[in-house]
Amino acid sequence: MTNTWALSALWVGLALAATLLAIWFRISTALSEIVVGAVAQLVIGVFLVQGGLLGNTQWIAFLAGTGAIVLTFLAGAELDPAIFRTKWRETLIIGLAGFFGPFLGCTAIAHFVLHWSIMPSWLCGVALSTTSVAVVYSVMLELGFNVTEYGKSILAACFINDLGTVIALGLIFSPFTIKTLIFVVVSVAVFVALPFLTPWFFRKYGGRVSELEAKYILFLLFALGGLAVWAGSEAVLPAYLIGMVLGGTVGKDHSLIRRLRTLTFGLLTPFYFIRAGSFVSVPALIAAPATMLILFMAKMLTKAAVVFPAVRAHRYEGNSGTYYTLMMSTGLTFGTISALFGLSHNIITQAQYSYLVGTVIASAVIPTVIANSFFLPRHLLPHAPTSKKSEHAVQRRAAAEEV
Amino acid sequence: MGSTVFVGFQRILVAFDASPHAEHALDVALSMAGDMKAKLYVVAVIRPPEPAESAEFNAVLEDARERYELCFVPLRERARQKEIELETDIVVGHPAEQILHRADAIQASLIVLGKRSHTILHRWMLGSNSERVLKYAHCPVMIVH
Repeated sequence: MTNTWALSALWVGLALAATLLAIWFRISTALSEIVVGAVAQLVIGVFLVQGGLLGNTQWIAFLAGTGAIVLTFLAGAELDPAIFRTKWRETLIIGLAGFFGPFLGCTAIAHFVLHWSIMPSWLCGVALSTTSVAVVYSVMLELGFNVTEYGKSILAACFINDLGTVIALGLIFSPFTIKTLIFVVVSVAVFVALPFLTPWFFRKYGGRVSELEAKYILFLLFALGGLAVWAGSEAVLPAYLIGMVLGGTVGKDHSLIRRLRTLTFGLLTPFYFIRAGSFVSVPALIAAPATMLILFMAKMLTKAAVVFPAVRAHRYEGNSGTYYTLMMSTGLTFGTISALFGLSHNIITQAQYSYLVGTVIASAVIPTVIANSFFLPRHLLPHAPTSKKSEHAVQRRAAAEEV
Repeated sequence: MGSTVFVGFQRILVAFDASPHAEHALDVALSMAGDMKAKLYVVAVIRPPEPAESAEFNAVLEDARERYELCFVPLRERARQKEIELETDIVVGHPAEQILHRADAIQASLIVLGKRSHTILHRWMLGSNSERVLKYAHCPVMIVH
Protein backbone atom coordinates (compact mmCIF):
# COMPACT_ATOMS: atom_id res chain seq x y z
CA MET A 1 0.00 0.00 0.00
CA THR A 2 1.73 3.17 -1.17
CA ASN A 3 -1.23 5.53 -1.09
CA THR A 4 -0.32 7.87 1.77
CA TRP A 5 -3.89 9.02 2.39
CA ALA A 6 -5.28 5.49 2.38
CA LEU A 7 -2.56 4.42 4.82
CA SER A 8 -3.32 7.47 6.98
CA ALA A 9 -7.01 6.60 6.93
CA LEU A 10 -6.21 3.04 8.00
CA TRP A 11 -4.06 4.18 10.94
CA VAL A 12 -6.44 6.90 12.08
CA GLY A 13 -9.35 4.48 11.68
CA LEU A 14 -7.55 2.02 13.95
CA ALA A 15 -6.92 4.85 16.42
CA LEU A 16 -10.62 5.65 16.37
CA ALA A 17 -11.53 2.00 16.96
CA ALA A 18 -9.01 1.79 19.82
CA THR A 19 -10.47 4.92 21.42
CA LEU A 20 -14.00 3.48 21.23
CA LEU A 21 -12.80 0.24 22.85
CA ALA A 22 -11.07 2.27 25.57
CA ILE A 23 -14.31 4.15 26.26
CA TRP A 24 -16.45 1.01 26.31
CA PHE A 25 -14.15 -1.00 28.56
CA ARG A 26 -12.83 1.96 30.60
CA ILE A 27 -9.22 1.09 29.88
CA SER A 28 -6.42 3.46 29.02
CA THR A 29 -6.25 4.52 25.38
CA ALA A 30 -2.56 3.62 25.23
CA LEU A 31 -3.26 0.02 26.20
CA SER A 32 -6.14 -0.21 23.75
CA GLU A 33 -3.99 1.18 20.92
CA ILE A 34 -1.18 -1.32 21.53
CA VAL A 35 -3.60 -4.25 21.47
CA VAL A 36 -5.40 -2.92 18.39
CA GLY A 37 -2.04 -2.44 16.66
CA ALA A 38 -0.96 -6.02 17.40
CA VAL A 39 -4.27 -7.54 16.27
CA ALA A 40 -4.53 -5.33 13.16
CA GLN A 41 -0.98 -6.19 12.10
CA LEU A 42 -1.78 -9.89 12.44
CA VAL A 43 -5.11 -9.74 10.61
CA ILE A 44 -4.10 -7.30 7.86
CA GLY A 45 -0.68 -8.90 7.42
CA VAL A 46 -2.09 -12.39 7.06
CA PHE A 47 -5.30 -11.78 5.12
CA LEU A 48 -5.07 -8.46 3.29
CA VAL A 49 -1.75 -6.79 2.55
CA GLN A 50 1.77 -8.15 2.79
CA GLY A 51 3.65 -6.11 5.37
CA GLY A 52 0.45 -5.34 7.28
CA LEU A 53 0.33 -1.84 8.73
CA LEU A 54 3.70 -0.83 7.22
CA GLY A 55 4.88 0.54 10.56
CA ASN A 56 8.38 1.23 9.24
CA THR A 57 7.15 3.77 6.68
CA GLN A 58 9.20 6.91 7.29
CA TRP A 59 6.38 9.34 8.00
CA ILE A 60 4.69 6.87 10.38
CA ALA A 61 8.00 6.40 12.22
CA PHE A 62 8.34 10.21 12.45
CA LEU A 63 4.85 10.76 13.85
CA ALA A 64 5.26 7.84 16.26
CA GLY A 65 8.70 9.06 17.42
CA THR A 66 7.36 12.58 17.94
CA GLY A 67 4.50 11.07 19.93
CA ALA A 68 6.92 9.28 22.25
CA ILE A 69 8.99 12.46 22.71
CA VAL A 70 6.04 14.77 23.44
CA LEU A 71 4.39 12.17 25.69
CA THR A 72 7.62 11.84 27.66
CA PHE A 73 7.87 15.63 27.92
CA LEU A 74 4.30 15.83 29.25
CA ALA A 75 5.04 13.07 31.78
CA GLY A 76 8.09 15.00 33.02
CA ALA A 77 6.19 18.31 33.10
CA GLU A 78 3.70 16.88 35.59
CA LEU A 79 6.33 16.96 38.31
CA ASP A 80 5.74 19.55 40.97
CA PRO A 81 9.23 20.69 42.00
CA ALA A 82 7.88 21.61 45.45
CA ILE A 83 7.50 17.90 46.17
CA PHE A 84 11.27 17.46 46.13
CA ARG A 85 11.88 20.16 48.69
CA THR A 86 10.46 18.02 51.46
CA LYS A 87 11.96 14.64 52.24
CA TRP A 88 14.21 14.67 49.16
CA ARG A 89 16.61 12.15 50.68
CA GLU A 90 13.88 9.61 51.42
CA THR A 91 12.39 10.21 47.96
CA LEU A 92 15.74 9.64 46.32
CA ILE A 93 16.37 6.42 48.24
CA ILE A 94 12.94 4.90 47.51
CA GLY A 95 12.99 6.05 43.87
CA LEU A 96 16.45 4.69 43.17
CA ALA A 97 15.67 1.44 44.97
CA GLY A 98 12.45 1.14 42.94
CA PHE A 99 14.52 1.49 39.78
CA PHE A 100 17.61 -0.56 40.63
CA GLY A 101 15.70 -3.52 42.15
CA PRO A 102 13.84 -4.57 38.99
CA PHE A 103 16.56 -3.19 36.68
CA LEU A 104 19.29 -5.42 38.10
CA GLY A 105 16.92 -8.28 38.98
CA CYS A 106 15.27 -8.53 35.56
CA THR A 107 18.63 -8.13 33.79
CA ALA A 108 20.00 -11.06 35.82
CA ILE A 109 16.93 -13.23 35.18
CA ALA A 110 16.95 -12.49 31.44
CA HIS A 111 20.65 -13.35 31.26
CA PHE A 112 20.92 -16.33 33.60
CA VAL A 113 17.44 -17.87 33.36
CA LEU A 114 16.38 -17.05 29.79
CA HIS A 115 19.99 -17.09 28.49
CA TRP A 116 19.61 -13.80 26.63
CA SER A 117 22.94 -12.23 25.68
CA ILE A 118 24.17 -9.30 27.72
CA MET A 119 22.83 -6.28 25.78
CA PRO A 120 19.27 -7.66 25.37
CA SER A 121 19.36 -8.52 29.09
CA TRP A 122 20.25 -4.91 30.01
CA LEU A 123 17.47 -3.70 27.73
CA CYS A 124 15.08 -6.09 29.46
CA GLY A 125 16.14 -4.67 32.84
CA VAL A 126 15.51 -1.11 31.64
CA ALA A 127 12.10 -1.90 30.07
CA LEU A 128 10.86 -3.67 33.19
CA SER A 129 12.22 -1.18 35.74
CA THR A 130 9.50 1.40 35.14
CA THR A 131 6.69 2.46 37.37
CA SER A 132 3.65 4.57 36.55
CA VAL A 133 3.39 7.90 38.33
CA ALA A 134 -0.19 8.22 37.09
CA VAL A 135 -1.31 4.88 38.50
CA VAL A 136 0.14 5.70 41.91
CA TYR A 137 -1.33 9.20 41.76
CA SER A 138 -4.76 7.82 40.87
CA VAL A 139 -4.62 5.43 43.83
CA MET A 140 -3.64 8.28 46.11
CA LEU A 141 -6.50 10.44 44.90
CA GLU A 142 -8.85 7.53 45.43
CA LEU A 143 -7.73 6.97 48.99
CA GLY A 144 -7.18 10.64 49.76
CA PHE A 145 -3.45 10.25 50.45
CA ASN A 146 -2.24 12.67 47.79
CA VAL A 147 -2.08 15.59 50.20
CA THR A 148 -0.12 13.75 52.87
CA GLU A 149 3.64 13.99 53.19
CA TYR A 150 3.89 10.27 52.55
CA GLY A 151 1.84 10.54 49.37
CA LYS A 152 4.00 13.36 48.07
CA SER A 153 7.23 11.51 48.75
CA ILE A 154 5.96 8.36 46.99
CA LEU A 155 4.95 10.42 43.95
CA ALA A 156 8.36 12.05 43.81
CA ALA A 157 9.95 8.60 44.21
CA CYS A 158 8.02 7.44 41.13
CA PHE A 159 9.50 10.32 39.12
CA ILE A 160 12.98 9.34 40.29
CA ASN A 161 12.22 5.71 39.35
CA ASP A 162 11.20 6.70 35.81
CA LEU A 163 14.12 9.14 35.57
CA GLY A 164 16.42 6.19 36.33
CA THR A 165 14.79 4.26 33.46
CA VAL A 166 15.15 7.14 31.01
CA ILE A 167 18.78 7.84 31.97
CA ALA A 168 19.65 4.13 31.72
CA LEU A 169 18.00 3.97 28.30
CA GLY A 170 19.84 7.08 27.15
CA LEU A 171 23.30 6.15 28.40
CA ILE A 172 23.77 2.37 28.69
CA PHE A 173 23.42 1.65 24.98
CA SER A 174 25.42 4.59 23.70
CA PRO A 175 29.18 4.47 23.32
CA PHE A 176 30.84 7.01 25.63
CA THR A 177 32.69 9.33 23.26
CA ILE A 178 33.43 13.02 22.95
CA LYS A 179 29.95 13.32 21.42
CA THR A 180 28.44 12.05 24.68
CA LEU A 181 30.39 14.67 26.60
CA ILE A 182 29.21 17.44 24.27
CA PHE A 183 25.62 16.19 24.61
CA VAL A 184 25.84 16.18 28.42
CA VAL A 185 27.47 19.63 28.66
CA VAL A 186 25.05 21.28 26.20
CA SER A 187 22.06 19.58 27.85
CA VAL A 188 23.07 20.71 31.35
CA ALA A 189 23.56 24.29 30.11
CA VAL A 190 20.12 24.25 28.45
CA PHE A 191 18.44 22.70 31.52
CA VAL A 192 19.91 25.40 33.76
CA ALA A 193 18.85 28.23 31.42
CA LEU A 194 15.37 26.98 30.52
CA PRO A 195 13.50 27.71 33.78
CA PHE A 196 14.61 31.37 33.53
CA LEU A 197 14.52 31.86 29.77
CA THR A 198 11.18 30.17 29.04
CA PRO A 199 8.84 32.23 31.29
CA TRP A 200 10.49 35.45 30.07
CA PHE A 201 10.18 34.39 26.43
CA PHE A 202 6.53 33.36 26.84
CA ARG A 203 5.67 36.60 28.65
CA LYS A 204 7.24 38.68 25.89
CA TYR A 205 5.96 36.84 22.81
CA GLY A 206 3.40 34.25 23.94
CA GLY A 207 -0.40 34.22 24.10
CA ARG A 208 -0.96 34.62 20.35
CA VAL A 209 -2.88 32.60 17.80
CA SER A 210 0.38 31.58 16.13
CA GLU A 211 1.04 29.11 19.00
CA LEU A 212 4.58 30.30 19.63
CA GLU A 213 4.72 28.30 22.86
CA ALA A 214 4.03 24.96 21.17
CA LYS A 215 6.63 25.68 18.48
CA TYR A 216 9.18 26.66 21.13
CA ILE A 217 8.61 23.41 23.06
CA LEU A 218 8.75 21.29 19.90
CA PHE A 219 11.92 23.08 18.79
CA LEU A 220 13.61 22.31 22.11
CA LEU A 221 12.47 18.68 22.05
CA PHE A 222 13.63 18.13 18.46
CA ALA A 223 16.92 20.03 18.91
CA LEU A 224 18.02 18.23 22.07
CA GLY A 225 16.56 14.97 20.74
CA GLY A 226 18.66 15.39 17.61
CA LEU A 227 21.73 16.08 19.73
CA ALA A 228 21.01 12.99 21.83
CA VAL A 229 20.69 10.75 18.76
CA TRP A 230 23.87 12.30 17.27
CA ALA A 231 25.65 11.31 20.49
CA GLY A 232 24.25 7.76 20.19
CA SER A 233 21.67 8.30 22.95
CA GLU A 234 17.86 8.41 22.87
CA ALA A 235 15.62 11.44 22.23
CA VAL A 236 13.25 10.69 25.12
CA LEU A 237 16.05 11.32 27.65
CA PRO A 238 16.26 15.10 27.07
CA ALA A 239 12.47 15.22 26.58
CA TYR A 240 11.81 13.89 30.08
CA LEU A 241 14.43 16.20 31.59
CA ILE A 242 13.10 19.25 29.71
CA GLY A 243 9.66 18.36 31.07
CA MET A 244 11.03 18.09 34.60
CA VAL A 245 12.91 21.40 34.55
CA LEU A 246 9.90 23.19 33.05
CA GLY A 247 7.41 21.48 35.39
CA GLY A 248 7.31 24.48 37.73
CA THR A 249 6.70 27.00 34.92
CA VAL A 250 5.32 25.61 31.65
CA GLY A 251 3.84 22.63 33.51
CA LYS A 252 1.58 25.02 35.40
CA ASP A 253 0.30 26.69 32.24
CA HIS A 254 -2.80 24.52 31.88
CA SER A 255 -3.87 26.13 28.64
CA LEU A 256 -0.56 25.29 26.94
CA ILE A 257 -0.46 21.77 28.36
CA ARG A 258 -4.02 21.22 27.08
CA ARG A 259 -3.10 22.35 23.59
CA LEU A 260 -0.10 20.03 23.61
CA ARG A 261 -2.32 17.19 24.81
CA THR A 262 -4.74 17.78 21.92
CA LEU A 263 -1.86 17.48 19.47
CA THR A 264 -0.40 14.49 21.30
CA PHE A 265 -3.52 12.38 21.87
CA GLY A 266 -5.31 13.46 18.71
CA LEU A 267 -2.51 12.71 16.28
CA LEU A 268 0.83 11.60 17.67
CA THR A 269 0.43 8.94 20.37
CA PRO A 270 -2.05 6.79 18.37
CA PHE A 271 0.72 6.36 15.79
CA TYR A 272 3.23 5.60 18.53
CA PHE A 273 1.20 2.99 20.44
CA ILE A 274 -0.37 1.32 17.37
CA ARG A 275 3.11 1.10 15.84
CA ALA A 276 4.48 -0.38 19.09
CA GLY A 277 1.68 -2.95 19.00
CA SER A 278 2.16 -3.72 15.32
CA PHE A 279 5.71 -4.98 15.94
CA VAL A 280 4.49 -7.54 18.48
CA SER A 281 4.71 -11.03 17.04
CA VAL A 282 1.65 -12.86 18.31
CA PRO A 283 2.98 -16.23 17.00
CA ALA A 284 6.19 -15.68 19.05
CA LEU A 285 4.11 -15.09 22.19
CA ILE A 286 2.02 -18.20 21.54
CA ALA A 287 5.13 -20.28 20.84
CA ALA A 288 6.84 -19.50 24.17
CA PRO A 289 4.35 -18.25 26.76
CA ALA A 290 6.66 -19.40 29.59
CA THR A 291 9.20 -16.69 28.65
CA MET A 292 6.63 -13.99 29.17
CA LEU A 293 5.51 -15.59 32.41
CA ILE A 294 9.10 -15.66 33.73
CA LEU A 295 9.62 -12.00 32.78
CA PHE A 296 6.32 -11.02 34.34
CA MET A 297 7.14 -12.80 37.60
CA ALA A 298 10.63 -11.28 37.54
CA LYS A 299 9.20 -7.78 37.28
CA MET A 300 6.56 -8.32 39.95
CA LEU A 301 8.88 -10.01 42.45
CA THR A 302 11.85 -7.68 42.05
CA LYS A 303 9.60 -4.62 42.29
CA ALA A 304 7.73 -6.02 45.27
CA ALA A 305 10.99 -6.98 47.02
CA VAL A 306 12.00 -3.31 47.00
CA VAL A 307 8.74 -1.38 47.15
CA PHE A 308 6.89 -3.47 49.72
CA PRO A 309 9.46 -2.97 52.54
CA ALA A 310 9.58 0.76 51.74
CA VAL A 311 5.81 1.02 51.92
CA ARG A 312 5.67 -1.03 55.12
CA ALA A 313 8.33 1.19 56.64
CA HIS A 314 5.91 4.05 56.22
CA ARG A 315 3.32 2.31 58.36
CA TYR A 316 1.08 1.23 55.49
CA GLU A 317 0.37 -2.33 56.45
CA GLY A 318 -2.02 -5.03 55.33
CA ASN A 319 -4.03 -4.45 52.18
CA SER A 320 -3.03 -0.80 51.81
CA GLY A 321 0.63 -1.75 51.53
CA THR A 322 -0.08 -4.58 49.11
CA TYR A 323 -2.32 -2.34 47.03
CA TYR A 324 0.41 0.30 46.73
CA THR A 325 3.03 -2.28 45.86
CA LEU A 326 0.89 -3.77 43.09
CA MET A 327 0.08 -0.35 41.71
CA MET A 328 3.74 0.66 41.64
CA SER A 329 4.53 -2.42 39.58
CA THR A 330 2.85 -1.01 36.47
CA GLY A 331 4.36 1.22 33.79
CA LEU A 332 3.16 1.13 30.21
CA THR A 333 4.63 4.16 28.45
CA PHE A 334 8.30 3.92 29.40
CA GLY A 335 8.20 0.13 29.15
CA THR A 336 7.09 0.23 25.50
CA ILE A 337 9.42 3.15 24.70
CA SER A 338 12.39 1.13 26.03
CA ALA A 339 11.38 -2.03 24.17
CA LEU A 340 10.84 -0.15 20.89
CA PHE A 341 14.21 1.55 21.34
CA GLY A 342 15.79 -1.91 21.67
CA LEU A 343 14.04 -3.22 18.55
CA SER A 344 14.78 -0.19 16.37
CA HIS A 345 18.47 -0.23 17.41
CA ASN A 346 18.74 -4.00 16.81
CA ILE A 347 19.57 -4.63 20.47
CA ILE A 348 16.74 -7.16 20.76
CA THR A 349 15.00 -9.44 18.27
CA GLN A 350 11.33 -9.17 17.35
CA ALA A 351 10.58 -12.19 19.53
CA GLN A 352 12.33 -10.58 22.52
CA TYR A 353 10.50 -7.33 21.79
CA SER A 354 7.21 -9.24 21.76
CA TYR A 355 7.97 -10.85 25.14
CA LEU A 356 8.91 -7.47 26.63
CA VAL A 357 5.85 -5.62 25.33
CA GLY A 358 3.65 -8.55 26.35
CA THR A 359 5.16 -8.40 29.83
CA VAL A 360 4.76 -4.63 30.00
CA ILE A 361 1.07 -4.95 29.05
CA ALA A 362 0.57 -7.83 31.50
CA SER A 363 2.31 -5.86 34.25
CA ALA A 364 0.00 -2.93 33.55
CA VAL A 365 -3.19 -4.98 33.50
CA ILE A 366 -2.76 -7.91 35.91
CA PRO A 367 -1.67 -5.94 39.03
CA THR A 368 -4.54 -3.51 38.44
CA VAL A 369 -7.06 -6.35 38.19
CA ILE A 370 -5.62 -8.18 41.22
CA ALA A 371 -5.39 -5.01 43.28
CA ASN A 372 -8.95 -4.01 42.47
CA SER A 373 -10.36 -7.49 43.00
CA PHE A 374 -8.58 -8.65 46.12
CA PHE A 375 -6.54 -5.89 47.72
CA LEU A 376 -8.65 -2.78 47.46
CA PRO A 377 -8.30 -1.51 51.00
CA ARG A 378 -11.93 -1.96 51.84
CA HIS A 379 -11.29 -1.31 55.51
CA LEU A 380 -11.20 2.33 54.43
CA LEU A 381 -14.80 1.88 53.42
CA PRO A 382 -16.97 2.00 56.45
CA HIS A 383 -19.46 -0.66 57.42
CA ALA A 384 -18.74 -2.97 54.50
CA PRO A 385 -20.55 -6.15 55.48
CA THR A 386 -18.17 -9.04 55.62
CA SER A 387 -20.65 -11.84 55.94
CA LYS A 388 -24.19 -12.77 55.05
CA LYS A 389 -25.09 -12.24 58.68
CA SER A 390 -23.79 -8.70 58.77
CA GLU A 391 -25.42 -7.98 55.40
CA HIS A 392 -28.74 -8.97 56.88
CA ALA A 393 -28.05 -6.79 59.89
CA VAL A 394 -27.49 -3.80 57.61
CA GLN A 395 -30.66 -4.53 55.68
CA ARG A 396 -32.62 -4.77 58.94
CA ARG A 397 -31.17 -1.45 60.10
CA ALA A 398 -32.16 0.19 56.83
CA ALA A 399 -35.64 -1.28 57.03
CA ALA A 400 -36.07 -0.10 60.65
CA GLU A 401 -35.19 3.46 59.68
CA GLU A 402 -37.93 3.46 57.08
CA VAL A 403 -40.62 2.15 59.43
CA MET B 1 -38.86 -2.21 72.13
CA GLY B 2 -41.11 -0.06 69.93
CA SER B 3 -40.67 0.62 66.23
CA THR B 4 -38.47 3.53 65.11
CA VAL B 5 -40.39 6.66 64.13
CA PHE B 6 -39.47 7.91 60.72
CA VAL B 7 -38.63 11.60 60.90
CA GLY B 8 -37.61 12.11 57.30
CA PHE B 9 -34.25 12.05 55.59
CA GLN B 10 -32.01 14.79 56.91
CA ARG B 11 -28.95 14.26 54.75
CA ILE B 12 -29.58 13.09 51.19
CA LEU B 13 -26.64 12.06 49.04
CA VAL B 14 -27.06 11.99 45.27
CA ALA B 15 -24.53 10.34 42.97
CA PHE B 16 -24.11 12.42 39.84
CA ASP B 17 -22.42 11.47 36.56
CA ALA B 18 -24.00 14.07 34.26
CA SER B 19 -26.12 11.39 32.53
CA PRO B 20 -29.89 11.86 31.94
CA HIS B 21 -30.49 9.16 34.58
CA ALA B 22 -28.45 11.09 37.12
CA GLU B 23 -30.25 14.32 36.19
CA HIS B 24 -33.53 12.55 36.86
CA ALA B 25 -32.28 11.27 40.22
CA LEU B 26 -31.16 14.79 41.05
CA ASP B 27 -34.63 16.17 40.28
CA VAL B 28 -36.20 13.63 42.63
CA ALA B 29 -33.62 14.32 45.33
CA LEU B 30 -34.10 18.09 45.03
CA SER B 31 -37.82 17.68 45.40
CA MET B 32 -37.42 15.40 48.44
CA ALA B 33 -34.85 17.70 50.04
CA GLY B 34 -37.21 20.65 49.58
CA ASP B 35 -40.14 18.80 51.15
CA MET B 36 -38.13 17.37 54.05
CA LYS B 37 -35.90 20.41 54.66
CA ALA B 38 -32.96 18.09 54.20
CA LYS B 39 -29.42 19.00 53.33
CA LEU B 40 -28.47 17.80 49.86
CA TYR B 41 -25.05 16.40 49.07
CA VAL B 42 -24.05 15.74 45.48
CA VAL B 43 -21.02 13.62 44.71
CA ALA B 44 -19.55 13.23 41.23
CA VAL B 45 -17.00 10.46 40.81
CA ILE B 46 -14.27 10.61 38.19
CA ARG B 47 -13.28 7.10 37.22
CA PRO B 48 -9.81 7.12 35.66
CA PRO B 49 -9.00 4.73 32.84
CA GLU B 50 -7.03 1.66 33.91
CA PRO B 51 -4.14 1.42 33.97
CA ALA B 52 -3.76 5.17 34.34
CA GLU B 53 -1.13 6.66 32.05
CA SER B 54 0.57 9.92 32.96
CA ALA B 55 -0.62 12.54 30.51
CA GLU B 56 -3.92 10.85 29.70
CA PHE B 57 -4.81 10.50 33.38
CA ASN B 58 -4.37 14.20 34.11
CA ALA B 59 -6.27 15.11 30.96
CA VAL B 60 -9.21 12.91 32.01
CA LEU B 61 -9.13 14.40 35.51
CA GLU B 62 -9.08 18.03 34.40
CA ASP B 63 -11.70 17.50 31.73
CA ALA B 64 -14.11 15.73 34.09
CA ARG B 65 -13.61 18.30 36.86
CA GLU B 66 -14.45 21.13 34.46
CA ARG B 67 -17.51 19.30 33.11
CA TYR B 68 -18.89 18.58 36.58
CA GLU B 69 -18.20 22.10 37.82
CA LEU B 70 -20.21 23.42 34.85
CA CYS B 71 -23.06 21.04 35.70
CA PHE B 72 -23.04 22.20 39.31
CA VAL B 73 -23.58 25.89 38.44
CA PRO B 74 -27.30 25.60 37.49
CA LEU B 75 -27.77 23.03 40.25
CA ARG B 76 -26.57 25.52 42.88
CA GLU B 77 -28.98 28.09 41.49
CA ARG B 78 -31.90 25.64 41.68
CA ALA B 79 -30.98 24.73 45.26
CA ARG B 80 -30.72 28.41 46.20
CA GLN B 81 -34.17 29.13 44.75
CA LYS B 82 -35.67 26.26 46.74
CA GLU B 83 -33.67 27.29 49.83
CA ILE B 84 -32.00 23.90 50.02
CA GLU B 85 -28.62 23.63 51.66
CA LEU B 86 -26.34 22.07 49.04
CA GLU B 87 -22.83 20.65 49.13
CA THR B 88 -21.10 19.38 46.01
CA ASP B 89 -18.02 17.22 45.83
CA ILE B 90 -15.89 15.78 43.03
CA VAL B 91 -13.84 12.71 43.90
CA VAL B 92 -11.70 10.19 42.04
CA GLY B 93 -11.99 6.41 42.12
CA HIS B 94 -14.43 3.56 41.77
CA PRO B 95 -17.94 5.03 41.76
CA ALA B 96 -19.59 2.57 44.18
CA GLU B 97 -16.78 2.77 46.71
CA GLN B 98 -16.50 6.53 46.57
CA ILE B 99 -20.27 6.95 46.93
CA LEU B 100 -20.24 4.68 49.99
CA HIS B 101 -17.22 6.47 51.42
CA ARG B 102 -18.91 9.84 51.01
CA ALA B 103 -22.18 8.51 52.43
CA ASP B 104 -20.41 7.44 55.58
CA ALA B 105 -18.38 10.64 55.87
CA ILE B 106 -21.53 12.77 55.89
CA GLN B 107 -23.63 10.17 57.74
CA ALA B 108 -26.15 10.19 54.90
CA SER B 109 -29.66 9.11 55.74
CA LEU B 110 -30.51 8.34 52.10
CA ILE B 111 -28.51 7.67 48.95
CA VAL B 112 -30.22 8.47 45.64
CA LEU B 113 -28.92 6.95 42.40
CA GLY B 114 -30.08 7.01 38.81
CA LYS B 115 -30.69 3.62 37.22
CA ARG B 116 -28.55 2.98 34.18
CA SER B 117 -29.37 0.16 31.84
CA HIS B 118 -26.29 -1.84 30.93
CA THR B 119 -25.76 -4.67 28.52
CA ILE B 120 -25.05 -8.13 29.93
CA LEU B 121 -21.44 -7.82 28.71
CA HIS B 122 -21.00 -4.45 30.46
CA ARG B 123 -22.44 -5.80 33.72
CA TRP B 124 -20.24 -8.88 33.53
CA MET B 125 -17.09 -6.89 32.74
CA LEU B 126 -17.58 -3.88 34.97
CA GLY B 127 -20.41 -4.72 37.34
CA SER B 128 -23.24 -2.46 38.39
CA ASN B 129 -22.49 0.45 40.68
CA SER B 130 -26.05 0.65 41.96
CA GLU B 131 -25.96 -3.05 42.93
CA ARG B 132 -22.72 -2.51 44.85
CA VAL B 133 -24.05 0.56 46.64
CA LEU B 134 -27.23 -1.31 47.48
CA LYS B 135 -25.21 -4.21 48.91
CA TYR B 136 -22.83 -2.22 51.10
CA ALA B 137 -24.67 0.98 52.02
CA HIS B 138 -25.28 1.67 55.70
CA CYS B 139 -28.45 3.63 54.93
CA PRO B 140 -31.48 3.28 52.65
CA VAL B 141 -30.79 3.54 48.94
CA MET B 142 -33.24 4.88 46.37
CA ILE B 143 -32.74 3.97 42.73
CA VAL B 144 -34.64 6.27 40.39
CA HIS B 145 -35.80 4.72 37.12
